Amino acid sequence: MQKFAMSTVVLALAAALSGCQDKGPQKEFVSIEKNPYPSTYKPVSNKSVLITDATVLTGTGERLESADVYIVDGKIQQVGKDLAVQADTTVDAAGKWVTPGIIDVHSHLGAYPSPSVESHQDGNEMISPNTAEVWVEHSVWPQDPGFNRAREGGITTLQILPGSANLFGGRAVTLKNVPAHTMQAMKFPEAPYGLKMACGENPKRVYGRKGVAPYTRMGNMAGYRQAWIEATEYKAAWEQYEAAYKAGLNPTAPERDIKYDTLRGVLDGEILIHNHCYKAEEMAMMIDLSKEFGYHAGTFHHGIEAYKVADLLAENGNCAALWPDWWGFKMEAYDMVQENVAIVDAVKNSCAVVHSDSDTTIQRLNQEAAKIMYTANQNGFNLTEEHAIKWITYNAAKSLGVADKTGSLEAGKQADVVIWDKNPFSVYSKAQEVYVDGAKVYDRNDEKYQAVSDFMLGQR
Amino acid sequence: MKKFNLSLVTGALLASSAAFAQVTAITNATVHTMTDKGVLKDATVLIEDGKIIAINPSSVSADVTIDAQDKILTPGFIGSMNQVGLVEVGAVSRSNDGYDKKASAMFDASTAFNPRSSLIPYARKGGLTQNVVVPRGGESIFSGLSFVTDLTGDFESVTATETALIVRLGAKSSGSRAVSLKQLVDKLEGQQKKLAKKDKKEDKKDEPSKEEQVLTKVLKGELPVITKVSRASDILELLKVKKQFGLNLVLWNAEDAPLVKTQISESNTPVILSAVSNLPSDFDSLHASLETAGELEKAGVKVLLAVGSDSSHNVYQLRFDAGIAVANGMSHDGALKAVTSNIADVFGLNAGKVAKGQRADLVLWSADPFEFSTSIESMWINGEKVNTNDSRHDKLRDRYNTPSDMPRAYTK
Repeated sequence: MQKFAMSTVVLALAAALSGCQDKGPQKEFVSIEKNPYPSTYKPVSNKSVLITDATVLTGTGERLESADVYIVDGKIQQVGKDLAVQADTTVDAAGKWVTPGIIDVHSHLGAYPSPSVESHQDGNEMISPNTAEVWVEHSVWPQDPGFNRAREGGITTLQILPGSANLFGGRAVTLKNVPAHTMQAMKFPEAPYGLKMACGENPKRVYGRKGVAPYTRMGNMAGYRQAWIEATEYKAAWEQYEAAYKAGLNPTAPERDIKYDTLRGVLDGEILIHNHCYKAEEMAMMIDLSKEFGYHAGTFHHGIEAYKVADLLAENGNCAALWPDWWGFKMEAYDMVQENVAIVDAVKNSCAVVHSDSDTTIQRLNQEAAKIMYTANQNGFNLTEEHAIKWITYNAAKSLGVADKTGSLEAGKQADVVIWDKNPFSVYSKAQEVYVDGAKVYDRNDEKYQAVSDFMLGQR
Repeated sequence: MKKFNLSLVTGALLASSAAFAQVTAITNATVHTMTDKGVLKDATVLIEDGKIIAINPSSVSADVTIDAQDKILTPGFIGSMNQVGLVEVGAVSRSNDGYDKKASAMFDASTAFNPRSSLIPYARKGGLTQNVVVPRGGESIFSGLSFVTDLTGDFESVTATETALIVRLGAKSSGSRAVSLKQLVDKLEGQQKKLAKKDKKEDKKDEPSKEEQVLTKVLKGELPVITKVSRASDILELLKVKKQFGLNLVLWNAEDAPLVKTQISESNTPVILSAVSNLPSDFDSLHASLETAGELEKAGVKVLLAVGSDSSHNVYQLRFDAGIAVANGMSHDGALKAVTSNIADVFGLNAGKVAKGQRADLVLWSADPFEFSTSIESMWINGEKVNTNDSRHDKLRDRYNTPSDMPRAYTK
């Protein structure tokens, strides 16, 4: 199958090179629309907000006591003590804690929503080991009640990923966690797309069982390499077409293939890899694979054994998105250590992220980070809240390619902010108010700001 | 329930220990007794021969004294509704003994229990000293019988078998829930009739089958019936069955329980639930809420907390779940009971309380047991001090976190 697919691409390429390149009047240039399902998200309010007298964790490693956060036009205007400014709304946050909005880089909300009934299994196109052509945004059901529960836990941004049965699972999408009834109205403007890849047990189990490749881990690697060879050819074919057209020739455009559009996007550096990959030796190979084909290996998700290759990840600029304690559900999850995130984080230039992959723990990523921080501190680390908060804010934003927009409380950034009733690293802490782009989207003490999904409305 | 001879187990434990009948005194402890004595400050607890022999004795004479420095001493927490010791790796079928296609009401997996499982030292990290193992069952509505183990990881750590019958009802992926409920009722009625006939018969030589023995215990209210069910209307149907047959019924999961909390409370039916279950996973659980544990507690229901998803590998999270229940309306004392004495009460265990004569399963905490920042200072199971930092996870962490010029494989 793979072989035939390749020769198709080679044929297309040959057609593009040798095809009608006469100098006659040029046909209309064939360009690929890169954003056919654009975001329609609009912030709910543009009123200015002043949050006063809180313990502020900025997301950049700083902790400010009795500090204020000033939001104007949906952006962080200023963070500091005793700000002498006037705002439309002032929130007295004395005794409370303020953090950037929490970001989950690994969610299936909307694609595997609640209720998880037969009709809702929209997260994984398990028909071929390479389904780079699917876009998970086309599966997102915005009425998943899980979005509301996650917001009540402080989640303001989340990446929805396709499942992990395939070597290439399809495009991931980053959403703003605002109530909406279309996917586009949640779509994070200008966030890069992700491409889900998967290592290890899942692809070889799902397809090996059907008697098709991959049947083994070496089959997995062969599958990735073959696909990248084809993608490289596809990219070259389009680039030659574009160059020839610009040179005034009249080439025939290569045949469009949305699978390779996505893989080409990775090779062009426009789409970021999000790779489900548990084991040390596999992460090392995926890094080499990326070098073999000239792209960046991106973020490793679920890297149970990331602590074994912490140096390698930092050297190559790979984020590792990890759980505090999930383990044992399969062999590749057997070598868990509770300090995984802390060990990865301890290396210079690292990017440790805490993720959920769960509609339950997405509601308390702050507490997932707390588990790691305290367990690590009991075993020789010296981590602080102001540092650990980065695992679910700034580092997560970096992994998604939106660190210039959100993930920290810095002037100019989008005002995605959470007010917590107490230290968010306490088991008793709860988000009190949640802001997305300066608009209040949740208030624990005001029903007006507690969204209810269409599905739950009227249920008794 | 079958209880194991404690002295045999203790004997095995102490065979390796130097001093027989060594007395340990824990002094200056803030003891959460989980009895009507409540919380005792500056208290002394004396342990000998696996048991608590005195609390606040007039004079203390001990071989070992541990100054608790006012820190909190609780009974060891009790995990439940999982397969710890019956599963090593979820997706490795040859390491799974909690499921059997033909499992029935008689399915007792206790002989398959593996005390050397890596899950056990890890479970201790959560302050757990005992655990109620529940088989996953098979195709029948009856999943089998639960059993209880301590978490020493020693051989002979099964402490009780046949502690409850597990039944699964409610939504089905094929067929009607009505049929499942009828299967339960038919079994109970059938056994009831057999017993009635037998009472009339002179000849009682017929040895009842294992299933008949189990059902007889159920009908006598001696064996709790733990029923996994979620929807409010299903709960009400079950309460009728409880009344009809005099069952010792316990509801498990029961996401919709708040809708019928009065009926649950009035019928004295305990509820086992996960404190973090708050999504409508199907149409049976539309009312799942973080506030359920607290709401049921306030309605007078006996609440037991069990870890929900991945309940075997991460049963250690139980204390955090208890904290989340408190954050959402449960009393701190109620949550402590929900992970200790309430579990002991429902499953009939000598555990879950700090009282004279009780098994000495104790945990000394650095602070509030539910907080992430709190660590375990000391743990005793059956009076013996046990390690909470010697799982293979600890070994792996140390291996990869210890500088060495040699390949990691040489760091042991």
